[in-house]
This record gives sequence, structure tokens and C-alpha cells, in this order.
Amino acid sequence: MRRSMKLFGSTMVAIVTLAAAAAPLVAQAEELGQQTLGRAYWHVFLAYAIAWIFIFGWIISIARRLGRVEKSLGNLDG
Amino acid sequence: MYKRTGWIGTATALLGVALSVLVLWMVFFWVPTEANQGVIQRIFYMHVPAAWVAFMAFGIVAFASAVYLWLGDERADMAAVAAAEGGIIFTGIVLLTGPLWGKIAWGTYWTWEPRLTLTLLLFFIYVGYFMVRAATENPEKGKRFAAVVGIVGALDIPLIHVSVLWFRSLHPEPVVLKAEGPTLDPDMLTTLLTGFLAFTVLFVGVLMLRYGLERAERELNLRQVTG
Amino acid sequence: MTYLRQLRAVIRKDLLQELRTKQRLATMGGFAVLVGVLFNYSIDQAIVAAQDIASGLIWMTLVFAGVMGVGRTFELEAEDGAFQGVLLSPIPRDALYLGKVVSNFVLVYLVVLLVLAVFGVFFQLDYGNHPFMLLAVLAVGALGFVALATLFGAVSSGTALGETLLPILVFPLLVPMVVYGASGTSRLLAGRPIAEVEGNLRMLAAFALVALFAGAGLFRFVVED
Repeated sequence: MRRSMKLFGSTMVAIVTLAAAAAPLVAQAEELGQQTLGRAYWHVFLAYAIAWIFIFGWIISIARRLGRVEKSLGNLDG
Repeated sequence: MYKRTGWIGTATALLGVALSVLVLWMVFFWVPTEANQGVIQRIFYMHVPAAWVAFMAFGIVAFASAVYLWLGDERADMAAVAAAEGGIIFTGIVLLTGPLWGKIAWGTYWTWEPRLTLTLLLFFIYVGYFMVRAATENPEKGKRFAAVVGIVGALDIPLIHVSVLWFRSLHPEPVVLKAEGPTLDPDMLTTLLTGFLAFTVLFVGVLMLRYGLERAERELNLRQVTG
Repeated sequence: MTYLRQLRAVIRKDLLQELRTKQRLATMGGFAVLVGVLFNYSIDQAIVAAQDIASGLIWMTLVFAGVMGVGRTFELEAEDGAFQGVLLSPIPRDALYLGKVVSNFVLVYLVVLLVLAVFGVFFQLDYGNHPFMLLAVLAVGALGFVALATLFGAVSSGTALGETLLPILVFPLLVPMVVYGASGTSRLLAGRPIAEVEGNLRMLAAFALVALFAGAGLFRFVVED
């Protein structure tokens, strides 16, 4: 129990140190990303993904509901 | 009967899907990048057709609602429900993709851009349309209530549009780039028109499927009630 | 002539009912005054002057108090089945609707006057050089509001959700009224000339007319069984 606490503590210290060292790098990368418009690509992909997910989600939900209703109708007939 | 509507609907929907794939190819591999806004402008080929479909769907809802109240024809109500469900999907697409564009083009996820605002309000009118229907115990009454929501919404939308435009003219936003710059490059126009065609065909096809579903559901309800 | 008589009968019934119970007027009035008290504590007058945001406060109080009061119109009558009796009478549905609009308008406008008086004292507001124009803008705005809220009050009272549904249904539709009403009011409070508000008044009137025609035409589909 003590050992795991210690391990946890040292891991946390390592993470915090690394994060502190990396923070300026991340900020720089983000800035670069803004400059090269990498983020714009990401947004375009996301937008098209959202549209397709919504439309296909709609179609799939219709298909599932239709399947269920037709099954119930078939049960009524049979 | 609903099976045949399903067949035509399926074919139309498949055509719509094929056209949408074509649009994807055009957007990502064919159309040139717009000079002012860069890559982000490519959202436009899907965002604008989605907005068109959202408003067209509401036109169908309002028209079908008026017919339903006037003639009491059950089919008009089924068409209205089917179109409203599609409308809420497409307003959802517009409302999520608009901010994705705005964040890059205007530097902010949300501006009170008149068309975006109008779409948000349209979304809430659709929400009201479904809530009224769901919250009414007597389904016949629910259909009439929903039709009233649809018709008043359609009458109010032009006024809302005028007022949000006017409000915007009072409070100009400094960082906004004009989305409709100079005349569109012919390749971009082709892509946009294909986008319109694809989403319209897709919507009409799925609308027919949804209509078939509504009819099947009502047939089931009727037969369960009558035994 | 009979149409006007029927209209008057509906208005008289509703106003008499309100006069006897004072239920809605008391709740709306109390609500409006208390909102004013809460507004006082929610704004730091060292940072924003009340005069600058008063128009927004007035219009939002009108909308919230109005939704509360108008939402009760049909609930009250539905409680003991009295509305069935009204529906059985040979009064045309549009007269019933217009009568309700008039009686609701009287209530809402009384609350507007109360709000103007109380907020004026609470926030030391200066109502500018054209108090009658201010009253006109608020009257036409309140009429449009009541026209929509009465129709959708009937809708929401017919649902299981009751009056809680009313804001969801009317708020999106009220945007034109709030835009033109609040901007007209803030211009008047800022002491701008009357000519700058005439356009607002016209748009508010157009909104009210559309709402009234839609309500009068559609009301019968809402109340029929």
C-alpha cells in the first residue's frame, strides 16, 4: 500500500515536471497549427463527419423502426 | 402499400447517397480552394445545402399542416411529421457545422449572424412541434396542435428573419468576413449546385421512407386497437 | 352587431372573473415587482446604469409575467369544466379568441403600467420626452404578445405538460417583438427623437396583426374536441 502510494507520488511528480516542460511546446505547436490552418482541415472533416453521421443515423433509425413495425404487423397477420 | 413507397423511397435515397459521395469527392479532391477564407470555406458546400433542406422541410411541414387542418386528411399529417423529423436533423447539421466554420472564419463559435440565428429559432420551433405532439394524450388533438405550431411558425419566420437582420444592422460585428464575396468561381458553383441536388434528392428519398414508416406505424396502432 | 355583442360577452366574463378572484393580476403584479427587486441585486449600478438596460428589463418582465398570466387563462376554466360550457355556447371561435385576447391584453397592460411605475421608482428611470410614444410601443408589443400567447396558451393547456410548455412554444416566435419593442423602448429612454421609433412601431403592429389573424383563424382547431 505504502509502495503504491510512493509510486503514484513519483509518477505524479514526473507528469507535472514533463507537463511543465511541454507546456510552452504545446502552445507553440498550437500557434503553428493556427498558422498552417491545420485546424481548418480538422473542422472541415468534423463538419462532413457530423453531416454524414446525422443523416445515416436518421436512415438507420427509420430502417430499425420500420423493421420492428413490419414484424409486429406480420405477427398480427400470422 | 407501404412496401411500394419504400421501394421508390429506397431508390431515391440511394441516388441521394451516391450524389453525396460525389459531392464529398468534389469537395475534397476537385474544387479549388477559395482565396479569401481558405480551406474552411469547403464546409459551405454542405452547410448551405443543409440549411436549404432544413427550410424546405419546414415549408413542407407548414403546407402539409395547412392541408391537414383544411381537409383533415391523415396523409397530410403523416407527411408533416416525416418532414419535421428530417427538418430537425438538418437544422441540427446546420447548427453544428455553422460554428465549426465560424470559429475559423470569424474567430468565434457563435455570432448572432442572422441566418444562423434564424436556424436556431427554426430548430426550437421544430422542438415545440414534437413536444406538442408527444405531450398530447389524444393523438387527434396532438396532430391539430402540431399543425397550428407549424403554420404559425411559417407565418412568423419572415418576420423573425427581417427582425434579426435589422438587429444585426444595429450591432455590426467587426471581425466578420463576408461569406458571399465576389461571384463564385464556376467550379465552386458546380460543387455547390451538386451539393444542393444531392441533399435535396437524399432528403426526398428518406422522406418517402419516413412517410412509409409513419403509415406502417399508424396501421399497426389501428390494428392493435381494433384487435 | 351580434358578433360585437358576443365579443363583449366574452370580454366581460373574463374580466369579471378576474375582478372577483384577482388571482392572475395579483400573481403577475407580485411577480413583476419582485423581479424588479431581484434585478436590483443582480446588477451592479456602479458598472452599468439602470437607465441603459431598463428597456431590456421591462420587456423581459413583460414576457415572463405575461407567459405566467396568459398561461393560466385556460387552466382556470379547464379546472371545473367551465370551458366546455363556453364551447357549447353558439359563440364563434374567433370571437371567443379575440375576446380572450382583449381581456388578457387588459391584464398584461395593467402589469406593464405597474412595471413602468415600480421600475421608475426602483431605478430612478427617466422616461424621456415622449412618454405617450413609450406607452404606445409597449401597448402594440403587448398586443402581439398576447395574441400569440393566448393561442398557444390554449394549445399548451390541452397537453399533459400544461403551461410549462407555453414558453417553449412562444419564445422563438417572440423574437420580432422583443427586437423591435426593446430597441424602440431603449431609444425612447435614451431621449432619441420620435421619428427613430416610428419604424419600430410599424413592425410591432405588423407582428401583432399577423399574430391576431393567425390566432383568430386557427383557434377553432385548437379548442374543438
